[in-house]
Amino acid sequence: MSNARVSKVVIVGGGTAGWMTAAALSRFCSKSDVSITLVESEAIGTVGVGEATIPQLAKFNAMLGIDEDAFVKATQATFKLGIEFVDWGQIGTHYFHPFGVHGVDLEGIDFHQYWVKARSLGEDHPLESYSLNAKAARAGKFIRPKAEHGGFLNRMAYAFHFDAVLYAAFLRDYAEARGVTRLEGIVSNVHQNPDTGFLTTLTLQDGRELEGDLFIDCTGFRGVLIEGALKAGYEDWSHYLPVNRAVAVTTEAGEPPLPFTRATAYEAGWQWRIPPQHRIGNGYVYSDQYIDPDQAERDFVSRLDGALLKDPKHLRFMTGRRKTFWDKNCVAIGLSAGFMEPLESTSIHLIQSGISKLIALFPDKSMPKVERDEYNRLLSTDFAHIRDFLILHYKATGRQDTPFWAYVQNMDIPDTLQQKLDLLKSSGRFFKHDSELFDVTSWIAVAVGQGIVPASYNRMVEGLSDRNICESLANMRGLVDKTVAAMPSHEAFIARYCAAQPVRMQKAEIE
Amino acid sequence: MSDKIKDILIVGGGTAGWMSAAALGVLLAGTGTRIRLIESESIGTVGVGEATIPPIIMFNEMLGIDENTFIRETNATFKLGIEFNNWGGLGESYIHPFGDFGIDFDAIPFYQYWVSQHLSGHSRDLFDYSLMVQACKQGKFMRPLKDRPQSALAGINYAFQFDATLYAGYLRRLAEAKGVERIEGRIADVALNGETGFVESVTTDDGRSFHADFFIDCSGFRGLLIEQALKTGYEDWTAYLPCDRAVAVGCEKTAPPIPYTKATAREAGWQWRIPLQHRTGNGHVYCSAFMEDDEAADTLLRNLDGKALADPKFLRFTTGRRKKFWNKNVLALGLAAGFMEPLESTSLHLVQTGLARLLNHFPDKRFVQTDIDAFNDRTIVEYERVRDFLVLHYSMTTRDDTAFWRHCQTIDRPPSLERKIAQFQSAGRIFEEAGDLFSTASWLAVMYGQGIRPQAYNPVIDKADPLRIRAALDGVYKAVINSADVMPSHQAFIDDNCAMTGASL
Repeated sequence: MSNARVSKVVIVGGGTAGWMTAAALSRFCSKSDVSITLVESEAIGTVGVGEATIPQLAKFNAMLGIDEDAFVKATQATFKLGIEFVDWGQIGTHYFHPFGVHGVDLEGIDFHQYWVKARSLGEDHPLESYSLNAKAARAGKFIRPKAEHGGFLNRMAYAFHFDAVLYAAFLRDYAEARGVTRLEGIVSNVHQNPDTGFLTTLTLQDGRELEGDLFIDCTGFRGVLIEGALKAGYEDWSHYLPVNRAVAVTTEAGEPPLPFTRATAYEAGWQWRIPPQHRIGNGYVYSDQYIDPDQAERDFVSRLDGALLKDPKHLRFMTGRRKTFWDKNCVAIGLSAGFMEPLESTSIHLIQSGISKLIALFPDKSMPKVERDEYNRLLSTDFAHIRDFLILHYKATGRQDTPFWAYVQNMDIPDTLQQKLDLLKSSGRFFKHDSELFDVTSWIAVAVGQGIVPASYNRMVEGLSDRNICESLANMRGLVDKTVAAMPSHEAFIARYCAAQPVRMQKAEIE
Repeated sequence: MSDKIKDILIVGGGTAGWMSAAALGVLLAGTGTRIRLIESESIGTVGVGEATIPPIIMFNEMLGIDENTFIRETNATFKLGIEFNNWGGLGESYIHPFGDFGIDFDAIPFYQYWVSQHLSGHSRDLFDYSLMVQACKQGKFMRPLKDRPQSALAGINYAFQFDATLYAGYLRRLAEAKGVERIEGRIADVALNGETGFVESVTTDDGRSFHADFFIDCSGFRGLLIEQALKTGYEDWTAYLPCDRAVAVGCEKTAPPIPYTKATAREAGWQWRIPLQHRTGNGHVYCSAFMEDDEAADTLLRNLDGKALADPKFLRFTTGRRKKFWNKNVLALGLAAGFMEPLESTSLHLVQTGLARLLNHFPDKRFVQTDIDAFNDRTIVEYERVRDFLVLHYSMTTRDDTAFWRHCQTIDRPPSLERKIAQFQSAGRIFEEAGDLFSTASWLAVMYGQGIRPQAYNPVIDKADPLRIRAALDGVYKAVINSADVMPSHQAFIDDNCAMTGASL
């Protein structure tokens, strides 16, 4: 058996995906048995701008044994409690999609069912007033929930805003300390075994050759191995998610960092605002069918609140996914696997999901079909679930003010999403399908936030009297307010535990 | 609102009927919804000795049932797993325990470390790492020590073995206390709405009519409403699971009850043994194409450990499921919904999850089709996963001693099962599928127990020092042995906490 072991892993590309993969594999592969080489070039830029994440990232860091405060300092990170969506359902409306949960379930029935019932009795407290995360975010507060804090506070959850380039650098230190070899170079040629089609060696521009048993393609949109060499094919989802360009820039921070991301809808797309420590990441994601890039840049810049720290940078993309993520002895992780706009901060999560599945299914040299099939099946499911959740934001809108919004409101959607929407509309019901990433809190927050009000509620809530329901809900609101009042400000929390040095432009910041 | 369900009629009063009545009674108390259950004392119920799986504890908790009281009232014993004899091959035996094997570390499941050491001959048998298996072998039981999360004793997982008729009676008292009305009667006719095809009312043979908005069909195999009235259709799974008959009988107990169920493979099927406090339930599930009824009954009676307490009772069934579990305003639960042999004690569990799902999809008079479709889709997945797990027992066998077992070896496995077996064979990996009721630990126990052996292990384990892995395995084994040591005997635990009051047969 030992002769069939993978002993050489080659990672191509050193952005966030490349270094996350290198770090994780260095944690799980024995240095003496498996050599891990990452080839990247300083001449090739990475996409990483200010990056927002979701709570699952903490698991990845914990798996690597990374101290959270050290990570926050090193990456200029701030804490993120959720996303504020502005002007999505209608111009002038806004809502908060929090991490964690709304309220407390009663009698085994989802909290939001009681909330719908209370509305039918004339109560008009928004969902947000039952979310620790939303209320803390609005108040600019943060505290790290810990097991010893006990019950209610543990209903909070958090993620990070950070500088993705610094995160890659941080993981590079980690990986190199555990034996990963970094090569500076550009791949000029990919060689395949003529019989099996397996990748055998890479030739770099300076003539060096790099052999491998398993190749990880982290080359971004281009997919140098998975597409360039293996022609895995791409499934285009732009009819569901028509935005195809972004323009991004960092600006000076004029105020203490907010503990949440903001996503504001505009005439042909939406704009993000991500606050790491000391500066702000901004980007306008749009469809060039509805606005031309020059106009988009002018509109975007005119809406920014701080001074620009460099020139805006333009990106093009096609939403969709690689038809096969793991083909032969090559696994695509990161943008080479697929792209979905960062509306719900899922890019890094998809990297993480790919890595953890690769580790769980780590192959021998023969790359057994049973392992590849399973990997591809699991990743396809992940992508499809996230895609449906993103489409919800566009489909569930009352906006008619521009051709872009009129299109997305009327477009066809996948059956899987239609079924979820019908269930939500009829009685506010939601069911998670197996390993689905976004749960009932997320679906309800977005659906209700964008104006879907369930026609009815689950009759089972009537097991509690109206008075009992209203009192329970009032108690929950009180508990949320009291708990938030006792939290320190986000700024004070960072200052106390994990402040980073203010930085100007850094060398690592290739944009 | 006017479209609220005001009247629910449950048809049939076996275990499924009274579980439904109790759950709805508790959950709808005070809402003004009338719940009635119609049953006839002249119609027998199928319930014999019934074995369950751990989620039943949640069901009882939801009903606010005190566990010790419930055990006393149903002559129940505790169950830590199932012993399978002669399944993988004649003379082989393994226990499928509830609960996990060992403790995961470094983000890798314990069993993968075990596979790596097993392949190089440096581990004990898989089942040596299960506290539940050890406790079964020693006839011991206690409830988990929840307040000592570090101890192996915190990981004890259990269910019950009880008298299903007594359980139904117990739930009936509970339901009636919550206002559920019981009607004695035999249904002679079902009236449908001429336009919508919805069930409007049922009429008893003495001419009384009962209207309702929503009907729950717990009438057993016949499916009085779901099939006889609504012609919903049935999907036959005999090609996967060929047994189609059972013969059951209770016998005197000859020793203190053991904390597990036995399932012993026979020439054309298998025999169950379920120990209760006062007697032992037995049954022989067989395939009529390979064995005559008389022979099946003889086999059963020959293999009892005490005197039979009655004449053996025969049952016929077709394994499969109703094409729709919920059709129009009728929801089928229990045997009216489908039948799978009790090899893994899933019958009551499927009633329970059906009720939990109803709770989430509870209708109003509009009977929104999306809700009903979602209910049916999810239920189908659940039934199929249980089916896969049962097929595993029959199809992964080396037995070729009888025509029945030779036939089992030729059964086509569903693709989801095929995938699971292939992954385990290839590198000892197990992934949960959507809707899986059985955990990774259960799949591991049965795949290994049936004789499937991984050819390799997850290579990322090479990172860990083999001596450390062996030390961890030894540590788990010692914890299992020491923990089993301090547990009281099953009988002593029952005597101290929940012995039945007076003998009733």
